[in-house]
Amino acid sequence: MKSNVSRRSMISRVGAALAGLLAVLVARTVKAAVSKGLASAGAPGGYDPTQHKWVMALDANRCIGCGLCVEACKKENQVPAGPYYRTWVERYIVTKPEPGSDLARGETLVDSPDGGMRGFAQPPVPAERIQHSFFVPKLCNLCRHSPCVQACPVGATFDAPDGAVLIDPKYCIGCGFCIQACPYGCRFLSPLTRTAEKCTLCYHRITRGLKPACVEVCPTQARVFGDLKTSAPDDPIRQFYQNNLVQALKPHLGTDPRVFYAGIDKEVR
Amino acid sequence: MRSFFKMPPQVFRLVLLAVGIVVSYSTARYFLTPRSFGRYGWFRGEALVEIGSRERAYAGRKACDECHSDEFKKLLEHGHKTLSCEACHGAAQAHADNPDAVKLDKPQFSACVRCHEANPSRPKWHKQIVVKTHYTVSNCTECHVPHMPEESP
Repeated sequence: MKSNVSRRSMISRVGAALAGLLAVLVARTVKAAVSKGLASAGAPGGYDPTQHKWVMALDANRCIGCGLCVEACKKENQVPAGPYYRTWVERYIVTKPEPGSDLARGETLVDSPDGGMRGFAQPPVPAERIQHSFFVPKLCNLCRHSPCVQACPVGATFDAPDGAVLIDPKYCIGCGFCIQACPYGCRFLSPLTRTAEKCTLCYHRITRGLKPACVEVCPTQARVFGDLKTSAPDDPIRQFYQNNLVQALKPHLGTDPRVFYAGIDKEVR
Repeated sequence: MRSFFKMPPQVFRLVLLAVGIVVSYSTARYFLTPRSFGRYGWFRGEALVEIGSRERAYAGRKACDECHSDEFKKLLEHGHKTLSCEACHGAAQAHADNPDAVKLDKPQFSACVRCHEANPSRPKWHKQIVVKTHYTVSNCTECHVPHMPEESP
């Protein structure tokens, strides 16, 4: 079969294809160089998010329910007044079973008045009826497979390379899908900005070498904050994992939280 | 080269249309995508800088140590060593920025009982008092030194 493509046209076609390929390669290299330059120019104080992996751990054995963390979070992040919290403290009370019953435990009561911001009053049941009781600080669980990130229709919420799950306030349209998607109730729609808000691990503090506000004010070190990429073995965060039996909240959902709890009971969700 | 353009006109128009769509899509994408998009992942990289550039309210205890190192040293050597200054004294960034103009209030009775009021939900290792039956003079500092809780004044 004789082809009707001449040698000349064939050579010029191949040449054009090669030139096109070369142009694409050059464009890619230039783009990479430009974005690298931008990255080093825009970071706050030389902070490189790819060099950190922030995480928080919580020890319920140490939490005294003072609520200083909740108050500090509200102040530090200008969280709107009212029932809006980026972090909060819950009190769990498991009562003794009724006398003569064959149950191991009584009922579980959970409360969090004002998110625990003003501390906790005496429990609603008399002390003799309490089998055990404890406080649990709550915040964003820093999921590896975040339902909130998957639910966002405009790509406004994302996993930052340093472990924080953040919201781009310029992209958020305030639809609230992420608020429904979060199984831990860690998000809210701000009545001021009309965008979703959540714990940022005090991103404006940690990028400057400070601890998050809640960790800073916690009087008992119930909240432990650290960097898994740079921490030494004697770092408090490493010590926490070494010295405690830990668990994550709602592990059956497959969200794979990076926030671990020590000393919590099976009722905590 | 001539034979390249000798394709049937209907095919040529389709190719032209396809090229037009690709070019206009690429142009629009180039101008509509923020510069920093994709720097770290599928989001606007500049958002990290924006979120990270908020104002602070809490200074952190290193900032307190710069001027109040004598009190800070006392704190570190006694039972309240895990406490941040701002846990009792309140948010202090404004004071740290402007030490003469902004002064912090002296912590009140409530700062002590907030943590030390007895509550059955609190862990047993934590020192607690029942305020009503605790020996009470007008305020805690008459018997206790907050920076050195083991000492008496």
